[in-house]
This record gives sequence, structure tokens and C-alpha cells, in this order.
Amino acid sequence: MSKPGIDGHWRGGVVVSRGLRDAGMEVIFGGFQNVEQIVESAISEDVDVIGLSMHSGAHLAYTERVINLLKEKGVKDHFLILVGGVIPVMDFPTLKEMGVANVYGPGTVVADITKFIVENIKK
Amino acid sequence: MKRNYDIDVLIEKFKKKDKIALARLITLVENNPETTTNIFNNFDSSENDSYIIGITGSPGVGKSTLVNAFSKILLENGKSIGIISVDPTSPFTGGAFLGDRVRMTDISLHPNIFIRSLASRGYKGGISRAVFDISLLYEAFGMDFIIIETVGVGQSEFDIYNLAYTTIVIMVPGYGDSIQIQKAGIIEVGDIYVVNKKDLGGEDIVVQMEMMLDDATVQSGWRAPVVMTNSITGEGVDKLIEKILYHKEHLELSELLKEKKKHRFAYKIEELLSSKIGKVLESLISEDDLNKISNSVLQGKKFKIYDMVHDLFSNVKFEMKKSD
Repeated sequence: MSKPGIDGHWRGGVVVSRGLRDAGMEVIFGGFQNVEQIVESAISEDVDVIGLSMHSGAHLAYTERVINLLKEKGVKDHFLILVGGVIPVMDFPTLKEMGVANVYGPGTVVADITKFIVENIKK
Repeated sequence: MKRNYDIDVLIEKFKKKDKIALARLITLVENNPETTTNIFNNFDSSENDSYIIGITGSPGVGKSTLVNAFSKILLENGKSIGIISVDPTSPFTGGAFLGDRVRMTDISLHPNIFIRSLASRGYKGGISRAVFDISLLYEAFGMDFIIIETVGVGQSEFDIYNLAYTTIVIMVPGYGDSIQIQKAGIIEVGDIYVVNKKDLGGEDIVVQMEMMLDDATVQSGWRAPVVMTNSITGEGVDKLIEKILYHKEHLELSELLKEKKKHRFAYKIEELLSSKIGKVLESLISEDDLNKISNSVLQGKKFKIYDMVHDLFSNVKFEMKKSD
């Protein structure tokens, strides 16, 4: 679980991480990280899911850069990528086209994220 | 989508120092211990020997931040480092919130470092079962130093002492009085003691610690030093590094390092044997047998518990297979 860029709103990422923890998952909380740090963490920790939490309005730019770097390293398809935060519904399709598996806006129930992860995790 | 965990391919890349391969091999030894033999058969004893440093202390004393601070100095000196950071697994859900990496963002992109967070997964003693196996992988990868950070521990979780060559116990101001410091357990396993957060005081603890260490009658030829640090500003960290290297030299010159290495493996051998015996016992003693004992205990035979377990155990016929 990572917060790309400079955006002090931790709460969302923390709440979702806690929910996933309570669902029996191991969550590596990366906190504020730049694109390189996010990709490095995901690779070193060999995670199943990359969660990007953004409330700054920069979700399109950051997601694209994370995905491009994952592609560059040849590992994009190793991970399930989820994006959440204050994200306008009209941007959901763009994010999915980039390769994000699902997007979670305000009002999301954590149980839905858990369910999606369990059903879509790459084996 | 199939994730790629082909051992032969990974080993080939691992030998070319590919961190992606290292990461995935760690996943295998952690999640599928049965693959470990197969993986380790690709290495031989001539592989690099890393120097293992253990960091332990209560939750929130600054372990990760201190690891970040002194790793920076080791990296500046051209050393390569493999970090294993353990955080606790929930006994209720099996989930975990691993937050050590947050403190290590500074060093995470350095080419000579590799950081892996681990959940304890029910393992007692402040570390996790996979820590030993991952330390061997780091050695094969060629790391100069391995740093193992335990979960935030209490008084009696000090398994780190069995794996590390230099164990660092971190305390903070407000630790307790001279009585706390006399207690056995965590407070006696340190090769180096750190009083972190020195901006909050802590001189009294240093004095108490120094007195306790002067009184200690166990002689290993090493008098553990006490260092004050502030892991955020980096104050005192150079002093800590100095003590670590000094202890390393002490072990090397006195041949104690050989003893430590032997102990590290003996500890794992014992654990592997108990685990094998445990599995055999599990397969030989049925749920019914256990239920019978528990029911008898509840039906007025609680003082026969030792007898009943002994009888059950003496009727077990052992037969070990190599696969167990």
C-alpha cells in the first residue's frame, strides 16, 4: 500500500490496509513513496497486489508512471494493481485501460476490496 | 495470469545478481518450505559468508529508523546489505500490517541494498521461521552484512540471539529502574546496548546499564558497550557502527565467531528436527486420542494428565520417512 507523491492524506490508505489486515492479509505499508520506490518495494517484497492511494488529483499521471516502470522492468503482469482515493468516476475507464484491475472511489466498502482481491489474485 | 516461480530460471538469474529472482526465491522459501531443499541444492559452502547483525527492542523504540541510519553509513563505505524486518502476525486473523519499510525509504533505492518485510506467522521468539532461510539466500547472493530486525519484543523473545553474530538491544528513556535492568532475558542478550531517542534524556538508564554490565559475572571477554543515539538526526550512529565493527573484530580474533556460526546452525537443526518429530507425532496420534485425554481430564482426571500423555506416547511406534 503506497501513497505516491506529496499528499498528506494517509487516512484512506491506513483504513484500507487495516481492513485487509483484518481480512487475514499481510499488508506492507509503504507510506509516501516516489514511483521508483513503489516499484522497488513491490518487487523486493514480491507482493501480490500493488495498492495506490491518491487524493491529490495526480492519479492519472502517477498511475501511468508506476505502470510504465513496471513494464520497463518486465514485471507488470506479475501484480494485481488497484487504485483508490478521491478519484472522479470519469477517470475510472482511463485507469483501467492503463492496466489497473479496479478503482475505488469515496464510499467504497473495504469488504468489496477484499472480495475483489481474493477473487482476482494472480496465482 | 500465471506468476513465474520456476526455480531453475530463478536460480540462473539469482546467480547474475538479479533482485527480482532473489525476491521470488524468498517468497518460495517463506510460503513453500518444501521447495527450500531444491533451492539450496544449487549453492555450495564456498558461497559468501555474511556478517549478521540482529536488532531488537520493544515496539516503537526506533529499530527500523536506526537500521535506516546505520545502513546508510555502511552503504557509503561500499558494503552490500540484506535487511530482514519482522512485524507481528495477528493471532486472530492471520493478517499483518508491516510498517518497517516506511522508515527505510531513504536507503531503499540504493543498488547495494535489499529489504524484505516478513510477518511472524505464529512463530514465537520475535522472528519468523523463514528468517534463517532468507539469511542463507542473502549469503548466497553475496551480501556483506545481513541485518535482522525483530518484531517489537517483550522480555522473553530473544531468538535473534541464536541467529545474529552481533545482537543490538535498543532501549529508550523511561525504560525502568535498576530492578528492571537486573532481570534476565532480553536485557542480557545484547552485545551492544543502545539508548535511542537521546533527545528525551536517558542518562540515568545508561548509568544503570553500565553498573549492571560491570556487575555481570558471565565472562565472554566482551564487555557490552552502551551507546546513546538519536536515530532521526543520526547523532551517535557513527559511534554505534564503530562498536559493531569492534565487536565483529573481537569475535573474529577470539575465534568466538566460529562458535556463533556453529550455534546459528545448531539452533536451526534443532528446530528442523522438532518440526519433523512434530509432524510424525501428528500423523500417529489421532484427533480421537487427543479428545479422549481432554475429555478424561474434564471428567475428574485432571491430576492424571501427565500419566495419560505418557501412556499415549509410549504406545506410539515411530517410523520416519525422509520426506517428513
